This record gives sequence, C-alpha cells and structure tokens, in this order.
Amino acid sequence: MFEQKKLVVSHPPFWHNGNRLTQRSYHIMLAALPAVLVGFKTYGMPAVGVVCLSIASAILWELGFNKVAKQPVTIGDGSAALTGLLLAMLFPATMPWWAVITGTFLAIVIGKHIFGGIGSNAFNPVALAVAILMVSWKHLFDFDGMLVNYDLQFTALYPIAAAKHFGAQAAASFNLWDLAIGWQTGGIGTACGLGLLLGGLYLMLRGFIRWEICLSFMAGIYISALLFHLVDPMRFAGPGFHLLAGYTLFGAIFLATEDSSSPVNFIPMLIYGAAGGLMTVLIRNIGNYVDGVILAILVINLVQPLLDKIRPQAIGKVV
Amino acid sequence: MFSKKELKLAYALAICLLVVGVVSYAAFPLKTPEEPNRIMYTVTAGRVLFDHKTHSSETGFGVACLDCHHHPAESDEETKRACADCHTPPAADQKVNQTCLDCHELDEIEDTEVPNTGDAYHGQCIGCHKDFGAGPVECSQCHVM
Repeated sequence: MFEQKKLVVSHPPFWHNGNRLTQRSYHIMLAALPAVLVGFKTYGMPAVGVVCLSIASAILWELGFNKVAKQPVTIGDGSAALTGLLLAMLFPATMPWWAVITGTFLAIVIGKHIFGGIGSNAFNPVALAVAILMVSWKHLFDFDGMLVNYDLQFTALYPIAAAKHFGAQAAASFNLWDLAIGWQTGGIGTACGLGLLLGGLYLMLRGFIRWEICLSFMAGIYISALLFHLVDPMRFAGPGFHLLAGYTLFGAIFLATEDSSSPVNFIPMLIYGAAGGLMTVLIRNIGNYVDGVILAILVINLVQPLLDKIRPQAIGKVV
Repeated sequence: MFSKKELKLAYALAICLLVVGVVSYAAFPLKTPEEPNRIMYTVTAGRVLFDHKTHSSETGFGVACLDCHHHPAESDEETKRACADCHTPPAADQKVNQTCLDCHELDEIEDTEVPNTGDAYHGQCIGCHKDFGAGPVECSQCHVM
C-alpha cells in the first residue's frame, strides 16, 4: 500500500533555519577549547605560540590561495581557522615555527583546496597534513624527544610509545584517571580525555558531529584492543589504555567525523567508525608506527566512497 | 557569500593570533634547563631516553653528580662536563682528545686510552644498575627503535 506520509515536501519558498558554516566552525573550535586550555596549562607559552601561529597561518594560506586562484575569499567560513586549531592540537608544544607553517600549508592547500575546497576534500586535511609531516620529519612527533626539557608533574613518557616498546607492563604503570585528566605527554590538545569528551558530547548533542561515527570509532578501539589484550595480556595494553592514550579521543571526535570525508548513512557510518578503531589498534599493536590514529583515519577516508554505496533501498519500483 | 562581519572576524583572528604567535615564539621560548630533566640519546642501536632528574635528585635515586661526571674530581660547577666532551676519539692527527689538552700538557697525560661514548655509557649505566640490583641491564630495556 502506498504510504502518503513518506517524503512529503512543502512548496517553496523555504525557510532557512539560520545554521551557517561559520557557526559550525566556531562551535567546533569552542568544543575543542577545554582540551586546548589543559594543554596551555601543562606546556605554557610555547603551546600558546604553536596554537596561535597555526590558526593565523592557516587563515593566511587560505586567503593566499583564494587570491592566487582568483576565487572569492572564503576565510569567513571559519573552516581554515578550525583546521589550524585542530592541527595545532596534534603538535607537541615545542613544534618549530617552520613546521607549523608547513603543516598548515599542507592542510589548507594540499589537503583542502587542491581537491576543490571545503566539502570536496577526499581526505581529512588535518590527518593528511600530519601524516605527511610524520613521514617527512619523524622526530617532530617523537613526544619523548620533543618534550625533554619540560619538568612535568607526571610521568613524562609518551604512553603509546611506552606500551609499543615495553609492552603491557609499561602501559599498566599509567593510571587511567591520570590519562583522562591530561596527565600524559602528547599533543597540545590531545592529552586531556575528559576535555575532549566534554567537547565531543557538546558537538553530538548540538548535531555538529555524528554520534554514530564517534561512538563506533571508540567501540572499534575498545573491542579490538580487548581482543588483543585477551590473547596476550603481557604484550598488548588493555582497552581502557588505548581509549585514553595518544590521539584516540581526538581522532574519534574531531577527525573521523569530518563531513566531507565521512559517510552519510547509518550503517556505513558504523562500519566506517569501527574500521577506523580496528585499524588504529592494528597499527599500534602490530604495525610499525607508534600511534595509528592518523593513518587509520586516512585509510577509512579512502574507503568512504565505497561504504556510501551501501544505501537505503529506493521507495517504489520500476515497472 | 559571507557577511562582512564574518570576514572581519576572520581577518581580526588572523592578525591578532599571528602577533601573539610570533611574540610567543620570539619572547617565550622553552628554556633549556641548566641541569637537564631528560636526555634523548639517538644512537644506531635505538634511542635511549635517560631521566637525568630522577637519577640526580634527592627525591629520586640521589646519585651524586661526580658519580657519573667523574673527572676531574673537584666538585665545583665547572667540572660537570658532558660525557661526550671527553669520551670521544681524538682527531686523526692527535694522540689524545682536545678536551684533555685544554687543561693538561701532553706529557702530563699517562692514560691515553679513553673509552668511547657508547662504552662509557654502557659501563656506567649497566655497572651501576648491577651494583644496586635495580634498573635495566638488557639492551632492549633501554634502547627502543
């Protein structure tokens, strides 16, 4: 029986609900602030310098590209500022200025505008920029080496690297509550799990990010880390550790959920997130890299068009 | 496309944050402490992160400076030289390391066999760990790739 209530569309003119790209970008930046502020408290003015320079240079790269490509100026949408902030959150507080500027160039020009600008990028620009920097200047993301001059009030050992090199025993020496409140070395804005979760909750409740991707990413991490841990508890760290250490929560909330590079339907979103979580743990536990979040995000970005093929059946049929 | 207000906000953000960023980098760089907190040794066998502060502080292992920075024996600040200052092979045209010649005449120096940095570290670290029955002694317990 044909159901009249489905797909009812009113006549134009339509009413705009007031949501704009600009509003969206600044709300995501607002959600990232708690974790960033914890980073400022831990690392002081050098961290402030990295974040400020990153946001400013990202806006300027976008403005420069707009001018060179003779496009309308798009910095008003706040997307470049957001990219700059998210990128800086992944950096160590002692990131050299030239690496910050190179990183924002990679994210804005290579990651976003080469693909056609906002909404057209196949890969998350932030993840792409960090991946290129990690491969080109590996030492910049060696948090143990980059933060040697900091006298911190907690164990100054990058937890994910410790677990990778010294096994589950090293991971067990980190208290999960300490990891959650940001007492761990790492990126400026990636250490404080509670701050990230607070921001993520706000974004999910306001509808700025899709909870399906975020939660399935975390579930993917949790389940796969648990399985590894059950198989060899001496070698592989537990799921709670994997969830709170490294880039995990940042990746689940701010990277995997990026609109342009993530699927739009329910089942694909769940597969996309869970695959990202699984890939992260695979890279961390048996791969060559210390933290797998960035590369896992790029891999799921790559399979996203394929996942979007799984779509609801069209209503009606061709006779 | 975007309102003037939004564009102005973006320009203001870019200018203000650029100024704050440049000032932070120029005026407030992270200072290298007089006594290192941690030292990352990058060597072929794999990097080693050495927690200098935990070893030297009274609340840590309380190792005296001269236990490691062992020569010369005077305990004033000047004597705390970096290990590699002395434990480095001499130049091809020299019999002894230039650091030795900074304070001694060549004919004063009897022992010209100075262990290289790697041997010195291994002897010092593993020796001490064995003496106290604590701390890593196997390669993979310190060296990570």
